[in-house]
Amino acid sequence: MPTTTDATVVSSMSPSWVTTRLDFLANWARTSSLWPMPFGTACCAIEFMATAGSRFDLSRFGMERMSFSPRQADVLICAGRLPFKLAPVIRRIWDQMPQPKWAISMGACASSGGIFDNYSMVQGIDTIIPVDVYVPGCPPRPEGLMYGILLLMKKIRGESFTDDMLRVETLVGPDGLYLPPERIDELSEPFGNSVSQTRST
Amino acid sequence: MLRPYIPILLVTAFVVFNAVLLLGLSHWLSAYRTNPAKQQPYESGMPVLGDARQRFSVKFYLVAMLFIVFDIETVFMIPWAVAFRSIPALSGLLLLEMLVFMLILAVGYVYIWKRGALQWD
Amino acid sequence: MSAPVATPSPSAQALREAFGADIERIAVSCGDTIVYVRRERIHDVLAWLKDSEGQEYDYLTDVTAVDYRDPERPLEVVWQLRSLRRKADLRLKVALDKSVPLEVPTCWDLWRGANWLEREVYDLFGVRFAGHPDLRRILMWETYQEGHPLRKEFPLRGHFSRAEQTRQALAVNPEAHYSLEELSIADAYRNLPQDMRERLRRGERGGPE
Repeated sequence: MPTTTDATVVSSMSPSWVTTRLDFLANWARTSSLWPMPFGTACCAIEFMATAGSRFDLSRFGMERMSFSPRQADVLICAGRLPFKLAPVIRRIWDQMPQPKWAISMGACASSGGIFDNYSMVQGIDTIIPVDVYVPGCPPRPEGLMYGILLLMKKIRGESFTDDMLRVETLVGPDGLYLPPERIDELSEPFGNSVSQTRST
Repeated sequence: MLRPYIPILLVTAFVVFNAVLLLGLSHWLSAYRTNPAKQQPYESGMPVLGDARQRFSVKFYLVAMLFIVFDIETVFMIPWAVAFRSIPALSGLLLLEMLVFMLILAVGYVYIWKRGALQWD
Repeated sequence: MSAPVATPSPSAQALREAFGADIERIAVSCGDTIVYVRRERIHDVLAWLKDSEGQEYDYLTDVTAVDYRDPERPLEVVWQLRSLRRKADLRLKVALDKSVPLEVPTCWDLWRGANWLEREVYDLFGVRFAGHPDLRRILMWETYQEGHPLRKEFPLRGHFSRAEQTRQALAVNPEAHYSLEELSIADAYRNLPQDMRERLRRGERGGPE
């Protein structure tokens, strides 16, 4: 549910060759130094650390500067499973990140709840925050995470500041949810083997 | 007469222009997309508890004040050290004068020592 | 392969002598001695095991519970004790009938570590511990509405729909539990933001009550 749109001097320019050059400049700057906020909760965080290490090296993407405060971060990388108890925390941290911001859902648990289809785990962080790139894996290999990051960079390069709806803050609505309830239920539906896990007396 | 100061003036002007340009451009060109959570201090995703401004002990102020006093004494001693030999006939007297100055401050030092201002706890 | 040890630990015999009929039965499983105790005497039994000469079970390893698959079996609360000096383990169980409210005495007065262990059993099984200083949920959030997750009749994914669970999780107000002591430690009770002061005054704890 989009709530705030502030048209600025810059974004009210109509698209032209000049705006594409400015876009190129801004997007080049943004993709070249995407400071991640590692919201690492579980095993995927270990793989994230490995990706940041010397063998796989996030530094070549300008991402070696981890920001553990959302104020200075560009991309929130949720690495690991998210319990419902932690849901308001990640929502608040996402809200506190200044625009432009993106989110990468790393691993199966952040993307869909993973193997934890139960009472305590969020079935995919996209029910709580808007996600740009999903990286599958349990955990994803460092190469997998880097591929996800490169996909995000490609997405960023396609952005334009003349797009008014692009940097809109989608907040939790008055009903207490970020998405409509039917959509949350649809996203959280069990799939694969989980469909058979229905045991209860 | 003021010609040597022109470079400083230019540097100051440039600094002010640079600051105004950077802050002004970022203010004028940026979009303000604020939301209630963004306005609050970051507290690891939790709602904010209490105020960041805490009371702290007065001993920090005391240390700073004492430092200033003895630092000014040192500041006075430095040009004196450069200049006191320039009049050979009076250099003994000038030395004595500085020693009197230091003695007055030493009395003050003994006072704060005995009063316990140098005790941290 | 020699047969596994089937003799109970000497503490079991000592318990029989000290408490007689309150010890319901003694079992041995995989080398561990399990003593079933009547609910009314469990606190005395634990205190005796902790304090008496020759027993000295000074370390409470765990307090947990078991809800068996067959619904007619009672719910068992389990205390796992260890004597650090004698390097001996002992397991005590109390069988609780599920048709009455589940309650056992706390052993917090004997082992301070039981505080969080008993909170966990309360949270996940619904067993109340009489005399516990601060019995509230510990793993699930304090205003969790759906029940006690590790009970067998609790469905795997919880009772509510995913949307409702998400809504309740996002609405939780974690600061509601802060007591005046905690706030004074944080030096915060004088400087609370106005809306937080209101919430604490109203006693709001977040989520539908």
